[in-house]
Amino acid sequence: MTAVVDDAPLTPLGATPSSDATSARTRARFWAGMAAPGTIWLIALYVVPAYAILAVAFGDIDPILRTAAPAWNPMAWDTSPMTNVLGRVFGGNLGHVFVRTGLYAFAALTGCCLIGYPVAYYVARVAHRSRGALLALLVLPFWISYLMRMLAWVNLLQTDGYVNRVLGWLQIGSGSRNWLDGDWPTVVIGLIYGYIPFFILPLYAALERLDARLIEASRDLGASALSTFLRITLPLSIPGLMAASVIIVLPMCGDYYTNTYLTGGSPRTEMVGNQIEFFLRGSSQPQTGASLVIVLMAFLMVAMAYYLVTIARSQREDARI
Amino acid sequence: MGTTRRRFIEQTAGLGALLGAGIPLLGACGSDEGSSSADPIRDGLSPEVGPLRVFNYADYVNPDTVASFELKYGVKVEITTFDSDAEAITKLANGSVDVDVFNSAAPNTLDRLIAGGLLQPLNKSYLANFANVLPSFTDPWYDKGSKFTVPYTVFSSGIGYRADRIDPALVEEMGWDILWDPTYKGVTSILDDYREGISLALLRAGVTDVNTTDVDLIKQAGDDLKQLTNSMNIKVNIEAYKDIPEGSTDLAQTWSGDLLAGAYSYLPEGTDPSVLGWWYPSDGVGVVGNDCMVVTASAKNPVLGHLYINHLLDTANAEENFSWNGYLPPIKGLDADYLIAQEYTPENLRGAVLTDEQMAKGLRYEPLPVDTDRLWEDTWSAFTAG
Amino acid sequence: MTRRRFGTLAWITWLYVLWSLLPVLIAVRISFNSGKSRSAFQSMSMRWYWHDPSSVWKSDELQSALSNTLKLAGLTMLIATPLGVGMAIGLQRWRGRVSRGANNLMLLPLVTPEIVVGVSLFLVFTQIYTGVPRGFTTQLLGHVTFTMSYVVIIVRARLLSIGIQFEEAARDLGASRLQALRLVLLPQLGPAIFASLMVVFATSVDDFVISSFLSTGLSTETVPIKIYSTARAAATPNVNALATVMLVITLVAVGIAGVAMRLLRKHGAGDDSSLTSMSI
Repeated sequence: MTAVVDDAPLTPLGATPSSDATSARTRARFWAGMAAPGTIWLIALYVVPAYAILAVAFGDIDPILRTAAPAWNPMAWDTSPMTNVLGRVFGGNLGHVFVRTGLYAFAALTGCCLIGYPVAYYVARVAHRSRGALLALLVLPFWISYLMRMLAWVNLLQTDGYVNRVLGWLQIGSGSRNWLDGDWPTVVIGLIYGYIPFFILPLYAALERLDARLIEASRDLGASALSTFLRITLPLSIPGLMAASVIIVLPMCGDYYTNTYLTGGSPRTEMVGNQIEFFLRGSSQPQTGASLVIVLMAFLMVAMAYYLVTIARSQREDARI
Repeated sequence: MGTTRRRFIEQTAGLGALLGAGIPLLGACGSDEGSSSADPIRDGLSPEVGPLRVFNYADYVNPDTVASFELKYGVKVEITTFDSDAEAITKLANGSVDVDVFNSAAPNTLDRLIAGGLLQPLNKSYLANFANVLPSFTDPWYDKGSKFTVPYTVFSSGIGYRADRIDPALVEEMGWDILWDPTYKGVTSILDDYREGISLALLRAGVTDVNTTDVDLIKQAGDDLKQLTNSMNIKVNIEAYKDIPEGSTDLAQTWSGDLLAGAYSYLPEGTDPSVLGWWYPSDGVGVVGNDCMVVTASAKNPVLGHLYINHLLDTANAEENFSWNGYLPPIKGLDADYLIAQEYTPENLRGAVLTDEQMAKGLRYEPLPVDTDRLWEDTWSAFTAG
Repeated sequence: MTRRRFGTLAWITWLYVLWSLLPVLIAVRISFNSGKSRSAFQSMSMRWYWHDPSSVWKSDELQSALSNTLKLAGLTMLIATPLGVGMAIGLQRWRGRVSRGANNLMLLPLVTPEIVVGVSLFLVFTQIYTGVPRGFTTQLLGHVTFTMSYVVIIVRARLLSIGIQFEEAARDLGASRLQALRLVLLPQLGPAIFASLMVVFATSVDDFVISSFLSTGLSTETVPIKIYSTARAAATPNVNALATVMLVITLVAVGIAGVAMRLLRKHGAGDDSSLTSMSI
């Protein structure tokens, strides 16, 4: 089912071979025209808003109402709130919020990997009869509102909820621990619980696409199951693992509602998102809030760039097949 | 291929210039208190069809009182809530909420709303029940002549606690320090409000100026607050009104109304209100605040808004409201003796009903200049950052 | 692989499924609680659905949240899907640097933290596009913006497995490019379009941050906003009932779409589930 292409090797599937330049231009314009509405939409509602953040961060405030008065012209940018924020982040009193956010995201990611990889692997490569049912059950959380799942979790974690009852019955701990106190385990477990479905499915898809023949070949050549897994399957699944990780870690770093929902408002579990919300929604310095957004994005930029590069590469590879 | 980047910047710079020009105009019109571009509505208008959009704290008005208003005028009332005064002001200021009546306007941020032209002057011909308001509130410092506001509730900031778990005598003896006592680690909370939190630390340190601009005092207050994070596993929220009765919090800096609301509405079945305790400095050096009712300048239902305010000022309705939300309305005749006699308030919580003396002596939050406000906000942010 | 190894993995998987879904079932059970507690179940009752004044049936607030959520999700579905399908097809076949740039732009919303998207949209509607009616319209625009990318990814995965030979054949037989698209490619994309509709619907229903930042008051609140507000105010199981109703509606919608998809599917080509094509 390969399409015959006589153009450059990196032609994406679907490029009609053409013989004259006019036809190529019409073709290009046609396809560009298809993509245009979506692209224009994204420019208007993603790129421009991104610039609005910059303009607010380097702007001023209305003297009476203390709302943002953005500076559209870069020449008029006031960098002092940003300098202040940078000072607080690098060596000041906001640095550890970023560190904490990163640690939570990393801990949650580790949890998702430890739980999610075996599950994805099982469903992708091992389960046969139950695969359909399992897949449906894995997809089900998508259709359940994130907050409803958190709500369910909060119900369980209340002092007289089931978690404590089960623990008491199993005689672990005191059986009446206050989980919603503002401890990091509650938040990390909450993050894992919330984001793991978004981790498992992409990982499943990546594992499912692994070429079974490579694994068979390894076994045929005498490698044990464990050795095959460690030397063939695991390395081949790394790209999928990385992509799934990026998909959940980036949103997690901006999360502010999971920890608010799961704790009574505790400074010990404060994440960057909470600080952003405070400054942008209830203060006289929206520039600080916008600056924090920019700093957050700067930290995430590395991961985002990695994601973009990897996707682009894998798309070209897919197209080449 | 559409707009080039340069053209885009030019266009938005032009837009920015327009916005920039507009803002000083707004500023010019609000340089002194009481000036606003809106006129009050005319007399004798009939109420609109509604729905009336009200903006206030969650659980702040008795659903029955709202229902009786809805029945009386045949309209629906929609209540939008918020978590803090700062959030409310910001939302009103940048127009991200569209409401008719704002029921929790605080005196220390009212100046912004008035000067910014966001409120309309009230037409007292619709507010016959204004006569019920306590004389000390009819001509307040933040709104001379009550042009824009009518008081809704008055309350103090003190310590609410479980009297069955903590000895009231101990609370009396320690005062504010008890909130720093590690004995109550994990069961203590303070208010999620940057003014309240920092002034708590200030009062504990003996500073009585809760509007201070002194950098060192504010910094010290911030450091004191930070101690709470790890030694007390402090919680920062405004839910003491249900957490104390439900027992998940034993000790809290909270508002007087919260305790009474807890006594009325949130105690589990069969629990006696005597488990709740309230403490406020006996020398009266504590923070007293009051929330006001205002009608927004952009209100689509101003007449209904006035009628709603009038409804809440009616003595019987005010009582009914108080019996649910616990916050004292500054209405004549509603004092501790009366309320206790009516069995709204348990005797052990008498202190949570403000006396005239407490209202007079209490410290008030005043508006802070931008730089000071930023300092307070940064200090608070450093504390909540953990 | 030994049988014991199978056993461990199977155990882990089924335990995970249980952990994933059991809390939700418990939350649903609480919605039938006769008492006010959200953690201690007393006895079965339809109180929070039916007769309590704050129930889903009687409370205007809850119903408005429900209808807002559904209206938003429905319209988002109808707008984001065509835009996304167009983008997927266009980007696939349009070469060049601009196309790659547009492609990267499309990928960005997927990995941008929601708070950043929410904040930026909030700022842009209060500062630049001030003419846009705030509330439902801005929420809709926001939802379309961040769900569009899902459509592109899903449709593109399917596009990769459909060759161009059918379209080419159609063009050889005299069809215009547009006709070939409409009559040949789009039907082939059917399952992917269906999957996109469902994913957009579910994502929009689930959205909290963007709806919250762009909400103008009670009349523009959605179900997730209502659920979240229970973190900061006294709550009864009526919120569980609301969430359950929303869940049932979503599952029914997905079920109907799934059945329709199966009925309409002509070629059995493609993956097991177009949903998993949400990966890379």
